[in-house]
Amino acid sequence: MKFKDFFSKENFLPSTFDKKQRIQSLVISIALIVFFIFTSLTFFNMLYSFADILGSIVSGSPDVAGKDFLRSLPLFGSFFMSLWTVLLLQSLFKSKDEETRMRAVFKKGIVVLSMAGFNILYVVIMRLAGSYSSLVEGSPSCLYPLDSVLYSLLYIVMGLGAILYAKRFKEKIPYTVPVRPVAPMPNKGIRILYNVGVVFWTLIALFGLTGGIMTLCIYDFRHEWAFFGIAVVLIYLLSPILLGFWQFYFHELKEEKKKEFFLPLSIVSTCVSVLFVVLYFVSLATNKDAPANAGFGMFPITFTATANYGTLVVVITPLVVSLIALVRAIIAKFKK
Amino acid sequence: MNKKRLLMSLPLFTLTLTSCAQQIDWSTNLGAYLYEMEYHSGFNILQLTDIHWNVNSSTASSKQYLDKVLAEADKHVTGGIDLVELTGDQFMLANTYHVKTFVEYFETKAVEYGFMYAIIWGNHDRHGMYSPNWLADKYREAPHCIYIEPEDNLYGRSNYVINLKDGTDVKWQIYNLDSGASFSESPLAIGRNYDYIRDDQVNWFKAERALQPAANAIAYYHIPQQDNLEAWNTRSTRTHKFFKLEGFGDADKPEYKSDFIKEGRALKLKGAFMGHAHNVDWTVDYDGVVIGLGVKTGTELYFAHIDPADTKKEVVEGLASLSTPIDQKFDLIGASLVTIKDDTSFDLEHLYLNERDGGDFIVWEKW
Repeated sequence: MKFKDFFSKENFLPSTFDKKQRIQSLVISIALIVFFIFTSLTFFNMLYSFADILGSIVSGSPDVAGKDFLRSLPLFGSFFMSLWTVLLLQSLFKSKDEETRMRAVFKKGIVVLSMAGFNILYVVIMRLAGSYSSLVEGSPSCLYPLDSVLYSLLYIVMGLGAILYAKRFKEKIPYTVPVRPVAPMPNKGIRILYNVGVVFWTLIALFGLTGGIMTLCIYDFRHEWAFFGIAVVLIYLLSPILLGFWQFYFHELKEEKKKEFFLPLSIVSTCVSVLFVVLYFVSLATNKDAPANAGFGMFPITFTATANYGTLVVVITPLVVSLIALVRAIIAKFKK
Repeated sequence: MNKKRLLMSLPLFTLTLTSCAQQIDWSTNLGAYLYEMEYHSGFNILQLTDIHWNVNSSTASSKQYLDKVLAEADKHVTGGIDLVELTGDQFMLANTYHVKTFVEYFETKAVEYGFMYAIIWGNHDRHGMYSPNWLADKYREAPHCIYIEPEDNLYGRSNYVINLKDGTDVKWQIYNLDSGASFSESPLAIGRNYDYIRDDQVNWFKAERALQPAANAIAYYHIPQQDNLEAWNTRSTRTHKFFKLEGFGDADKPEYKSDFIKEGRALKLKGAFMGHAHNVDWTVDYDGVVIGLGVKTGTELYFAHIDPADTKKEVVEGLASLSTPIDQKFDLIGASLVTIKDDTSFDLEHLYLNERDGGDFIVWEKW
């Protein structure tokens, strides 16, 4: 098998689509990427807020934690409505059947609309109650909390659009892309485990995307810390790249090609993950001061207890995901 | 671009990320770490510590609190505040907005009250959505901010000395040290150790002291060293005061013990003040060196609530140590003030300032 065989147009589902379907599929894919980036950014912001709140709780000041949570609730809202929009778009991208697709779009549209409405209402109430001294009180941005309101307006449009579209679906079918079927699960337990795993993996990828890009921007790449910085960027970006790869490459393959490519792709994925993980630990071994001194803001969740848990989770997860894929590929091959 | 070229350009890209600036050797550039201020009898240093601006902070209400602390301190001292020492953790999980707002605020206040302010890095100042170098640049650019960080081979960032000069004589030296953040003991370690003042920093301190052997010295840094705990464990034999309601948060393993206080004692170090643990402002005369934590400034992250009805030993001990009896609940937040009396001694006072609707709670307590 040659390298270019993996990228032959004929291997992919869109090769069976007509022109309109291909354009619609492309638009949804781009929208997914854009809103994934929004979700990643808001996730990072929310994690910063959460880490501080957690720090207050751990340090025995739940009163400070409560006050901070109430002030920063719109940050949490911004993340969740972004995430639900990604899930909404994912339903358009991939679903069990047409009926399920439209039901999911409708339900998720309502959730997005409700969250965006709540966010706006919350800011208004907090302002009227005097908790925000003005609509541009400041922190974490100069426009906070007004920026949360403006951001929510975008999701009002998204939510309303999804609801209206799903309602009109029975009369007219403007979105004609055929469903990309979800793989059946052997039982409910496995399905729950799989879904939890996917959610966790997605969160790590969301974290990795902004974390990796932010590291490139803020890390102190001076002499003794440069090696660690490069290793961190690689390990961070590996998660979203792998997620994107399985989403936009593997799941776009025709069924017979999926079966054919599963094992070689999972081997490559595992090898790359092993390489990056080893690189990370070797780089840390060469300068154990680097994480704390050279831009530790990229690991917001790990600072409070001076512990490495968060770091290790971020580092190990791509490897675990790749190993799971490898095991599944070997089992599939063995069964055949 | 073909694949070969792309592969060849990767190492080049990596190189562009790394800094190539020339490092100076601290031991032959001791003058690069000096800043001078005019000495006068009653020169005062207001220590603000652990302000902790973060994504959840209301900078508006925090500034309102700082306004009150600065106004109270300015009213309390003779001739206005001379120097504000910001002893670390100005930020934690903050972003560029917070840094810019913070520096703007202190610049405005420096002009209003006529003080200079000196910056020390805390462990959390590195934990933000900004480059540590960018933060250092913001401090360097601020006209009233004292911040020296040469590209050197000395551990940490904010290691520098403020010489208080009377004519050509240096009367006192104020040492600012970066006590670091934390480090992993091994690449696979689950936990990280708090950092400590490293040997090369102690050697740098000794070298700087050798240039001004007649002057006394005070040091400011962020993370307490193991001396604080050793002094606490033998407190029954020592003069001590104020509150210790949690651990010091030092690098508690014997191998990470710093010689800074021990060496300093022999070199006329009269006081060493730090921050880090918010529920502690305990101060002790440790064989001739007064070491103590400053009062946490503001309400971010966590702080101690003190209830006179509390029977906890540490609260009772702390309250009993005060010369002004406090019979109402209060929070352990405010500031600390050092006033240099003459060539050899200084006064230390802790300010407890709590904002209250019916009038703020303000207590000054002398060491």
